[in-house]
Amino acid sequence: MTSPISALGFATGLPVTGVGTDMGVGTTTAASSTQGTSGADFASVLASSLDGLQSTQSKADGLALQAATGDLKDVHDYMIASNEASLATQMVVTIKNKAVDAFNEIMRMPV
Amino acid sequence: MGVFDTLGISASGLLAHRKWLDAVSDNISNINTATSTNQSAFKERYIEAQAVDYGSGEGGVRVATAQFGSGEGRVVYEPKNPLADKNGYVRYPDIDLGDQMAQLIMAQRGYQANLSVIDRATKTYQAALQLGKG
Repeated sequence: MTSPISALGFATGLPVTGVGTDMGVGTTTAASSTQGTSGADFASVLASSLDGLQSTQSKADGLALQAATGDLKDVHDYMIASNEASLATQMVVTIKNKAVDAFNEIMRMPV
Repeated sequence: MGVFDTLGISASGLLAHRKWLDAVSDNISNINTATSTNQSAFKERYIEAQAVDYGSGEGGVRVATAQFGSGEGRVVYEPKNPLADKNGYVRYPDIDLGDQMAQLIMAQRGYQANLSVIDRATKTYQAALQLGKG
């Protein structure tokens, strides 16, 4: 287990360990941080997680349309999908903020 | 397995209890449905729930099938009923209203319990996302 986050198994296949190894965010050990550039770069990590977010939100959108047209079979389906979309958005934004924070921290480093 | 698995698992519980509520409402709505004695009475509907194996990477419950009770019912003497046979008997479903009301309470409470799990899981995930912000 390289990172406690990877143990959760992201639905989008999000390689969050890449953030840990490249950006220094997270709880990676010294051994794994020496891997350097072996992880996926942050741009592709962010892009794939945004793709996952997009699919979650379009699922919620489809159910919202069904609710409006009266085709919705279960009320809880839409409520859970919108809840999940909201949570996924919060998660991606949090990860993005953490990564930007780490980048800014490095940029402030005196040379 | 996804990040927000609890939501999907609880959704399966909600679906199972919603179907149970449907079955109970079907039974209660037909509790006074008379049939002629040469036909079977309304059959009480049961929901057969089955656990989804967590080892498969997916938890939760699913409704395997809907089972039906006996169509024998109870024979009631109602000579004025147009459906009565030549001896004056009709058939009523043998459904106990008290039992159905008890099942209604269980189904409703189960549905509410699953909703509570979703509510609590959402709050927990949000708390996790606040980690390190303080």
